[in-house]
Amino acid sequence: MYRLTAVVALLLIVVPFYTGAAVAADSGPTVGTASRTSANPEKFPFPVDEYTLSILERINQAGPYKVPQLPLRIDPVYADTPKELDPFGRLTQPFKRHFLTQMEYTGPGRGIPEPTHVDTVKIGFLGPIEPTVSVATGGKSHEENLGKMMLRGCQLAIEEANAAGGYWRRKIPFELVVRNDNGLWGSSGDEIIRLAYKENVWAIIGTIDGANSHIAIRVALKAEIPVINTGDTDPTFIETNIPWVIRVIADDRRQCYLLADYIYKKLGLNRVGIIRASNRYGRFGVREFRDASRRLERPVPIEMAYFVGQQDFSLELQRLADAQVEAIVHWGDAEDGARILNQMREMGMKQPFFACDRCLLDDFVKIAGQNAEGVVCASPWNPARNDSRLEEFRQKFKARFGCEPETYAAHAYDGTQLLIWAIQLAGLNRAKIRDVLATRRDPWHGVTGDIMLTAVLDRASDAYLAVRENNEWKFYSREDLGLPKEVPARCVQVSQN
Amino acid sequence: MWRAEFLWVMISLLAIGSAWAETASGEKAPNAQLPKLAFGQSVDNVTDDDLPYVYTEWENFTEEDGLPNDHIFAVRCAGEKVWVGTEDGLACYDKKTRKFTVWKEKDGLPWRAVTGIDVDPKTGDVWLALFGGGVARLSGGRFDHFHQLNSGLVNNVVYGIAVEHDNVWCATTAGASRYNTTTKEWTIFTEKNAPMEEIWNYNVFYSPEVNKIFLAVWGSGCLEFDVPTERWKVYLDPDREMEIDLFRDDGIIHVITTAANYVGGALWISTYFGQCRYDGRYWRGFYAHETGIPSDFTNALRARSAQECWMCTDKGLGVVADYATDTYVSYYRNGDDPAGRAEVFRQGRKIKEVPLKTSIAHNFIIAMDFDGDDVWVGTAKGLSHGIGRGYYPGVKRHPEWLDKINAEGKK
Repeated sequence: MYRLTAVVALLLIVVPFYTGAAVAADSGPTVGTASRTSANPEKFPFPVDEYTLSILERINQAGPYKVPQLPLRIDPVYADTPKELDPFGRLTQPFKRHFLTQMEYTGPGRGIPEPTHVDTVKIGFLGPIEPTVSVATGGKSHEENLGKMMLRGCQLAIEEANAAGGYWRRKIPFELVVRNDNGLWGSSGDEIIRLAYKENVWAIIGTIDGANSHIAIRVALKAEIPVINTGDTDPTFIETNIPWVIRVIADDRRQCYLLADYIYKKLGLNRVGIIRASNRYGRFGVREFRDASRRLERPVPIEMAYFVGQQDFSLELQRLADAQVEAIVHWGDAEDGARILNQMREMGMKQPFFACDRCLLDDFVKIAGQNAEGVVCASPWNPARNDSRLEEFRQKFKARFGCEPETYAAHAYDGTQLLIWAIQLAGLNRAKIRDVLATRRDPWHGVTGDIMLTAVLDRASDAYLAVRENNEWKFYSREDLGLPKEVPARCVQVSQN
Repeated sequence: MWRAEFLWVMISLLAIGSAWAETASGEKAPNAQLPKLAFGQSVDNVTDDDLPYVYTEWENFTEEDGLPNDHIFAVRCAGEKVWVGTEDGLACYDKKTRKFTVWKEKDGLPWRAVTGIDVDPKTGDVWLALFGGGVARLSGGRFDHFHQLNSGLVNNVVYGIAVEHDNVWCATTAGASRYNTTTKEWTIFTEKNAPMEEIWNYNVFYSPEVNKIFLAVWGSGCLEFDVPTERWKVYLDPDREMEIDLFRDDGIIHVITTAANYVGGALWISTYFGQCRYDGRYWRGFYAHETGIPSDFTNALRARSAQECWMCTDKGLGVVADYATDTYVSYYRNGDDPAGRAEVFRQGRKIKEVPLKTSIAHNFIIAMDFDGDDVWVGTAKGLSHGIGRGYYPGVKRHPEWLDKINAEGKK
């Protein structure tokens, strides 16, 4: 009897989706341009699809007390985790799985009226742009090169939006309010608070460091302000159930899954050692690789941590050599990774070298030189793909800043454009901006590829592998590598009951 | 390798199995779909007529009534006064005069957002956690301001505050700080000297009953600090995975904790993934889908006893009204209508729905405190006062509040 009920319930959920009627099946109003019944429909100066119009109508009617009936994303598995990598999956099913159904925002924020006067539409930027000492990052700051590129990506998107007329409702420009997140003792929290309460920004883009990002989103949750993250690949960043946070870069979990598949299934290696930075980025970056190795019955025999900026890695490398590892996975900054690689080769260690996406930065090749040949890095995107949109972005970026954009610039550009799109639709209300972002149904066609979000509003895209071949990085997808991932169809979007 | 996981599963199963074996009811619920009871719970001697106390009288306060702001972050009851921390100011409600006194930045409040309040029982000083502004002490009508640059406060983003003897504990986003008000000494607790896997402190609670401090640390579960010995004890999610709760009742249900209270021999912990209770030997997790509590996303909790705990969720106010009989009450407001309802659940089954002419101010609940038999609730859109006329703990057959509701219904 219960099974029958469950099957019927499942069919009620799934059938509308597969017939394309999921959103229409919602008990809320179903409207389009032609049939809209709103007393004062807004005329947008750009195309807006029927689905988005219906979302806007619902959130505009909600007020402070009602929670609008919005579609919620439901994922069949978390983060496209393959069955064989499911925690405890060989042994049992968990009592409860988290992160499969999208969180709602149920507060009164939609009822806050727009301000009567603003000169600009402020967007906060939080990133590591000035060198300092940071407790969170384990000493001297080291991410300014990433943060500055991230800032440039945001600036370019803002400048383009302003050149196109700025915020269309009031004919005023967008303004990027820039803050450094490298300060002492978790000062990123202070910066978010200043952005939220003093600068009155409408949303925040940031940041890169995992600890600072966590601090920032805890503040954002309480202050109720949307945060778009474009540069933190820490898997736990999004595992916090905060409905105000969106990430548009594929995380280390996805990079680790692909590396593990490639190393163990494609190359058939068995003993892989880890060397990582002794900070949050290194610690959490390799966690999924370590877990995946164990679940694939190739446990990591040794994991060595080093201090950021360290020059001599002989102790760590000797331990790895003594453990007779067949390959080494590095998780840390490009400069450290290159120095480790060089020292490995000097010591006669010929093991293949695998690394995280940060080693794709130019500094790695500059320092590693010919040792970089054959190195394999995970990458959250494919910057080598043939895409006119990406090429156009590259040219504009180079013309504006005199250098090539990389991962952090490209993702920041995409995240800022996505945010501006949401503000143009939702208006000057943080909760409504959140709603528009959180309910976007179609992929965002960004320069980093199509951005589709999961139930926790994380980027759903799979990672790539970059192989250094003939002095250039060649990018390979899972399909290119013959490593398809067996996971159920993902990102079903159904109506809220 | 996976054998390690296998070992962990077996150990957990054994532990949980022994807990079930000692369950008071001792057997499976008659309806297989009903949630299992934990140790100390039984429904053998109760019927649907045995009901917990339901708060049927509510009054609400907003800016129109004198609050500085409707977004309430903290509530603290102290004698005739109710202290209220908001997103833009501090308020004190005098129960005798029914008037609010308000402090904003222009009145000397060091920072607008007040996220935590505690009152020193010895001096009457009011200690304020300021969200991005450090800590303030309101004493003799004057604010003293403590922040990163003039004190040993580890961070200015302070989420919670608690007075323990002569000490004031501050839960900040980068560790905990303890200020000794007599020696003026500050002590900082981070991963360097405390078992914090992460340092993102979210709430702090002092239990005089056991003379312990309980820290809810985002990403690091719950930390217990024994005041006399200065020793720490840690409560972490045993499965160590963010995306699952492996076994029911195997420990703290998630490391993203938001509050911890220890009352009457029971430790209650809230998370953004549900709530749980620990009696020193057995754990019990509370999920919305099997209890009737409005939501798993819990901003804070407040325990009244080992049997009763109030959960501030994003979809309503949930109460473990009587742990022994697995009985819950959830309070809701009906959208734009100030009326609402209370729903009584037992073993996940709704046994009573009570219409409320006036309900809580908003369904997004952030803070609450007890005031004798009354309760004060801070929501994202106003302050609520639940009047506990005739309050009783546990459950009671044919209670007076029900007679009153029935009588009103007949009018």
